[in-house]
Amino acid sequence: MNFDFDEKELDLATRLKKAIDQDAEKRVKSLRTGDPLECLNLFMDYLGRLADIGYLGLGVKDGNHSSALVAAQEALATLSPSLFLAVESSTRLFGRLVALYGTSHQKEEILPLLEQGRYVGCVALTESGMSVENQPFETTASSSGKDFTVTGTKDHVINGPMADRIAVITQADEKLLIALVRIESPGVIVGERYAFIGYEGTPVAPVQLDRVTVSAKEVMGPFDPPDILGNLRRWEDQVLTSASLGLMNRSFQTALDHARMHRSGGKPVIAYQEVAFKLAEMLTLRQTAQLLAYRAAWMDESGDRERDILVNCAKTFCAESAEQVASQALQVLGANGLPKGNPAEESYGSAKYLQVAGTSSEISRIKIGDRILERA
Amino acid sequence: MEFSFTPEQLMFKEQLIRFAKKEIVPRVSEHDLQSKFDFDSFRKLGEFGVLGLHFPEELGGSGADVVTTVLAGEALGEAGVDGGLSLAYGAHTFLCADTILCHGSEEQKKRYIPKLASGEWIGCMGLTEPGAGSDVASLSTRAKKAGNTYILNGSKMFITNGSIADVAVIYAKTDKGQKHAGISAFIVEKGTPGFSAGRDLIKMGVRTSHTSELVFEDCEIPAKNLIGQEGAGFLMAMQTVEWDRSALLAPFIGGMTYVLQKCARYAKERHQFGRPIAYFQATKHKLADIKIFIEAARSLCYRIAWCKDQGRPLNHLEAAVAKLFVGDWSLKPANDAMLLHGGYGYCHEYEVERYFRDSRLAPIGGGTSDIQKKIISKLM
Repeated sequence: MNFDFDEKELDLATRLKKAIDQDAEKRVKSLRTGDPLECLNLFMDYLGRLADIGYLGLGVKDGNHSSALVAAQEALATLSPSLFLAVESSTRLFGRLVALYGTSHQKEEILPLLEQGRYVGCVALTESGMSVENQPFETTASSSGKDFTVTGTKDHVINGPMADRIAVITQADEKLLIALVRIESPGVIVGERYAFIGYEGTPVAPVQLDRVTVSAKEVMGPFDPPDILGNLRRWEDQVLTSASLGLMNRSFQTALDHARMHRSGGKPVIAYQEVAFKLAEMLTLRQTAQLLAYRAAWMDESGDRERDILVNCAKTFCAESAEQVASQALQVLGANGLPKGNPAEESYGSAKYLQVAGTSSEISRIKIGDRILERA
Repeated sequence: MEFSFTPEQLMFKEQLIRFAKKEIVPRVSEHDLQSKFDFDSFRKLGEFGVLGLHFPEELGGSGADVVTTVLAGEALGEAGVDGGLSLAYGAHTFLCADTILCHGSEEQKKRYIPKLASGEWIGCMGLTEPGAGSDVASLSTRAKKAGNTYILNGSKMFITNGSIADVAVIYAKTDKGQKHAGISAFIVEKGTPGFSAGRDLIKMGVRTSHTSELVFEDCEIPAKNLIGQEGAGFLMAMQTVEWDRSALLAPFIGGMTYVLQKCARYAKERHQFGRPIAYFQATKHKLADIKIFIEAARSLCYRIAWCKDQGRPLNHLEAAVAKLFVGDWSLKPANDAMLLHGGYGYCHEYEVERYFRDSRLAPIGGGTSDIQKKIISKLM
């Protein structure tokens, strides 16, 4: 047992804080409605910096989560939530899919570029009719000898507007295939970037695939759906758990700074119990969430049989705590928290995304409940 | 970061759960109904080595580390031991005996620790007063030096084990002019003239522990019963806080695991609308919320224990965070467990009723949730 960060964990997080500027979130957000090329250039700049400190390769090849990775993720998610989500979708989701399920040719072609920050990937999973997990995908890949034809529409594809390659999850009879679709392929139509209530700097868009031809050597699978979807969901949930920590850190710090500086009745507002006690509750939630997230990561790393249930617990608790902390932060900030653009306001909107994305809080609770009942 | 227990720790936990299920749990319900302390179970805890787990072997203990000691508390809860007996054990071992162990003279240690470790003697700690709770500096019990004796006057309130204790660690003011620095700690034995316990209080939960007032009327004790130096009492009391917020919280968390198992089994057995209620999403959500609470709370608790094992100075912030979380956030899952059982949950037979009552103490005992918020906001 050791509740201290080790040298490795501290070192990477420290280097990351030096590599990414404090204004990163503002910068990526400002390009939301601007020139897509300028936006891409900015992301590539950040990817390059993250590659230089070794962030992009962490836990990709082995697919393992770890407390060292969470420490680094938490640091990036605190500096820039939007950049974090985009980077993680490319590396820890797309990258891990290729690393664990790809052919040696696919790995050789894609992984070095991802690790060097010269390539952006994304995963196209969600569909509009996907209300429950076991429902078959409507996007299909049909074989015509050496090629596959991919047809369907995917929603909410993170990095869709700037990816080089899209890992499209498709149905092929009872099995799943993953088509590594090049963005420039004929028939790939990336829709208009969504305007979300949170994560405004993360490029997210629908992707339509209209009879896209994909060479057989660029297709992975076939896979049993529970196996690959289980892994994908777990990775996604782990990313969103770390994202939650980032949001909590941002909104808590903003509220704390304000409570110390803002004066009312001749004293800083932190001197009032109504404010100070809210901050105490926020800090309690934040510390509890951190420990749970780190323990879930450690369980993954150590191959604990409780891993999956802990990942679900951590994701649910952290995502919901992020909203509570942001909400309390806004209350502490008073009218100062209402204008758009402050970290508490941003976190409040983004936190809702975390409860819906990946395994939603509701599905997560069903999974946890099922596991408990299995053992009873 | 690394969160594993050693194989020895896990084996000990399993053994303790088995022991408690066989030797203690079968009598819990009866004692709770009668609000009666279970002396047999307490002594059995002593025989098993729980009462003196972290004491040195030469004083009758097992020399265990703090993490193992906290694990023991969790094991008791997980086995189904009620909050009352766990609280009595906590007050005895951590609030009374540990203070003597850490700050007492060699003579005091030799006289008291072996008997407390075995359970032959029962210990209690008297800090709270009718007019002084978390505001320790305002306590009014006085200890006046008179030659080779101290004369104690005053009263203590809400003292766990108060009426059954053979030995009490009592905090009193030796210097009225001082606040915290005027507080000293003393050992008072049962039967000392002028020392008496009031009636046992009728409580909502933790009913198998006896809670009473202690009264000191010109109670004369030998000067050698002073623990440490005059004026050092406040720091001693503060050091018990770490125990209060780790080992004493652990049975609540273990108890929640016990309740979760009960809920899951009940949900599978109970049929409504032609199917087990386990089938319904709302049931699964309740089970999940209980599980999430357990997992979130565990790390907080073990963090304090681990820090204590590292010999770190008082970690008040972490301790207060753990106490606040377990205290306030346990209310909903405890309530959910009762709701899941419907009308049966409201009845004594199904045990969740007892756990619900017992768990109400978590945000009150050892410093209310508001006090924890006060500490956290001061330190952050």
